[in-house]
Amino acid sequence: MTAMRRVRFQINGQSVEQDVAPRLLLSDFLRDVLGFTGTHVGCEQGACGACTILLNGEAVRSCLMFAVQVNGATVLTIEGVSPDGTSLHPIQRAFHENHGLQCGFCTPGFVMSACALLKENPAPTESEIRTQLSGNLCRCTGYESIVQSVLQAARDLESAGGQSAGKADSHAG
Amino acid sequence: MRRSEDYRLLLGAGTFTDDLQIPRTLHAAFVRSPYAHARITAIDVERALALPGVVAVFTGEDLAKLTEPGVTAQAGAEPMVMETLPTRKVRFNGDPVACVVAVDRYVAEDAIELVEVDYEPLAPVLSMESAAAPDAPLVDEDLSSNLHTRQTRTFGDVVSAFAEADEIVEVRFSTQRMTHVPIETRGVLAVWDAGRMELTFYSGQQTAHLLRTNLARRLRLDENQVRVISPDVGGAFGQKIPLFREELTVAALAIKLRRPIKWIEDRLENLTVANHARDDSAWIRAAVTKDGRILGIKAELWADYGAYAFFTPKYPIDSVGWLLPGPYKLQNYEYSINVVITNKCPAGTLRAPMALVTWATEGMVERIARQLKIDPVEVRRRNMITSRDQPYVSATGYSYEALTPWEGYEQMLRDFDLTGFRAEQRAARANDRYLGVGIASVLEPTTYGSAWYKKSGRGSGHEAATVKVEPSGAVNVSVGIVPTGQGYETTIAQVVAEALGTRVGNVNVLLGDTSIAPYGMGTRGSRGAAAGNAVAYLAATEARAKVLRIAAHLVGEPIDNLEIRDDQIYVLGEPEPRLPLSQASWTAYMDPSALPAGELPGLEIHRTYDPPAMTFSNATHLCVAEVERRTGRVEILDYRVIEDAGTLINPAIVDGQIRGGVSLGIGQALLEEVVYDELGNNQTATFLDYLIPTIDTVPNIQISHVQTPNPHTVLGLKGMAEGPVQGGLAAVMIAVQDALDGKGITIDRSPASPSRIRALFRAVEGDLDE
Repeated sequence: MTAMRRVRFQINGQSVEQDVAPRLLLSDFLRDVLGFTGTHVGCEQGACGACTILLNGEAVRSCLMFAVQVNGATVLTIEGVSPDGTSLHPIQRAFHENHGLQCGFCTPGFVMSACALLKENPAPTESEIRTQLSGNLCRCTGYESIVQSVLQAARDLESAGGQSAGKADSHAG
Repeated sequence: MRRSEDYRLLLGAGTFTDDLQIPRTLHAAFVRSPYAHARITAIDVERALALPGVVAVFTGEDLAKLTEPGVTAQAGAEPMVMETLPTRKVRFNGDPVACVVAVDRYVAEDAIELVEVDYEPLAPVLSMESAAAPDAPLVDEDLSSNLHTRQTRTFGDVVSAFAEADEIVEVRFSTQRMTHVPIETRGVLAVWDAGRMELTFYSGQQTAHLLRTNLARRLRLDENQVRVISPDVGGAFGQKIPLFREELTVAALAIKLRRPIKWIEDRLENLTVANHARDDSAWIRAAVTKDGRILGIKAELWADYGAYAFFTPKYPIDSVGWLLPGPYKLQNYEYSINVVITNKCPAGTLRAPMALVTWATEGMVERIARQLKIDPVEVRRRNMITSRDQPYVSATGYSYEALTPWEGYEQMLRDFDLTGFRAEQRAARANDRYLGVGIASVLEPTTYGSAWYKKSGRGSGHEAATVKVEPSGAVNVSVGIVPTGQGYETTIAQVVAEALGTRVGNVNVLLGDTSIAPYGMGTRGSRGAAAGNAVAYLAATEARAKVLRIAAHLVGEPIDNLEIRDDQIYVLGEPEPRLPLSQASWTAYMDPSALPAGELPGLEIHRTYDPPAMTFSNATHLCVAEVERRTGRVEILDYRVIEDAGTLINPAIVDGQIRGGVSLGIGQALLEEVVYDELGNNQTATFLDYLIPTIDTVPNIQISHVQTPNPHTVLGLKGMAEGPVQGGLAAVMIAVQDALDGKGITIDRSPASPSRIRALFRAVEGDLDE
């Protein structure tokens, strides 16, 4: 067995220090070791986007990274998006109000991608949303309700004065 | 009404199979055949067993000792037997030959590489034509032929219809092999309780009880030793119905090793070895009069069913057969079905197993119009069933009632300016732009009652529910349907709350656990509403009746004078409630001597319901598309649906089913295709090669609803979910054909992918250097 490596990083506002095998995928580390099972693995090929997390504020595919690569980084997963762990962040609420999910398996990836998108571009057009989220696959919804969810989230975040409405914002940048 | 499921799913707090973690769990991975067809001559597991962390390696010979084989019986055809893992030969690229069990998935995958299997390759059988040839090598050597199913059914007087016809119109349509692609792949966590001798089988499934019955038999356990728990399911689309060999293997080995074992399929496996579907074709001849009346049709239908039978081989293609007359007045009909077994991944049911049918029927009507030079609208006007024609019994014996195919078609023509579009289309063509419109009338079979199953072979279409009004008045409900994204927890709570007079938020719905749910037929077809929600409504109605009997006794009023609203019991006409519902429920459990004479304690209702033999919904789909000649790319410019699914419980959920279903239909029409090379190697094993619709390819869909209640179902429910797939494929393919009209191009095979469109243009134009 290859020697374990120590990683220290921030996840959802907490500090973590852990020994990991060099070949352990970040997605497996988050799910199986740390218990953040809201990050879902849909392909392990970097194509479906279900495992999307924010790494130092940028959306990345956690199935395409090794756990050792997050050393020193700040990570946000779906579990850290809610401001208090129980109430819905405006992006999550918009998905709820627009029927933006059915089975819910791809949903954490879409929410994380939407967090990154709205941080970068707080008032995206429909066309920009469709382009920016084209790396996330959903087999249930036909996508229109996801587009509407993100449009509403943008409006709601805008009318909240662009203020941080939850952890997603404070950790995204 | 927004969905109650969303909260946990949006917080990342859902529980999917792979989210479950149990101490001491081992992990399984499968050694798979690199050949499409080969004899297994030897398997050496020694090197794999020597790898640290590997616990065991099991082969087909081992599994044969631990399990019973699967048998698929079909009336009039040879039974097909399937070993748990093959012992003699492999039948497709990816066929599992051994299972490695190790401390984690990483080690298990390392060990797969160390299992040495010696194969003697055989000639693969890879097409319908070669499979049916008399000298073809047998895929299943227990069968007498690869042509497993061959049946013909005749209705009415087809001979006279063809003799009297002015013209015979002939069409062919083929759909490509596809796969389901739930974003959550298959998986299982099997846990054996060695003390109680009980197996708990956690796995995202659609038909938990049927799976339990089958699993117990295959494991030689009593059915009360097996519990299936389907937690949150990340989509299924007809894939998560049968007991797969990997799942059965994992369960058997969990018992053998007395350790929990988890197997989560990777995407490569899901694309190549979980079931496929849709490898179907239709050759149709229509006998027509000069003025466009259809006198009769004959259809020859073929299906490539792949290497093994997880369902009766005739099932999907036969549903194309009995539905082909569609929404048309047509009594003289003959169809044959031909199903071949080949060296490809087994086929099964994918959302709308009959998907080809709407394209075939409507494509035929379009061709009739073109051949006779009559407006396609006129051909429909002369043949389509209107509400005045109903009740109508189809040629194949199905009863249509409360359907609106012609009315929906007319409404679409009122909403869409077809004349204006034709002018635009001509103007565009002058500029070398190819616009087309496709309008398709969808007839969707939704809820199959037990009478249908009896007639078609065996099985049941009934459903069961329990409604428990607990002492405090809180309500727990369970039903045998298993959710995979349809929002059943929300809709069941809605209908129970309506029946019982309680708040939706007071109803907790627990599904998917065979120890909690009553035995039902699960989720398949479009039975969620008219079977699943219907039986919950009926059970809640019985609970309400008991509450009212108790309340009437407690307040000293006749039952007919009472009503329940917002958890309160009122005497009609009185502004203030007499007592809360909870007083009746509390009495039922805690003070039974205060119940009316003869009333038994408790407030737990179990109810079953067998829906009509068949219920239908209908819809009209319209697609406007542009085909780009230079690239072969098809862009959808407009998409509309008018849906008549009867009474709607939750319109937002129905709209979601329409959008998702049309999206799958668009995927079939334009993008998706499982490809095998000439040796039978699967060439579409990643999402880079197997393309499903993305957010930038699916257009917005304009939806409107007509709600014509079914007079024979609970609440007038019809159900829907598969029709949008049928309509999506049909409307897009017909629009593409319309765009190419006059070019001498016939597109008779999906998908209308850029390469196929370019090939069709090249065939008529030659290679134009541009």
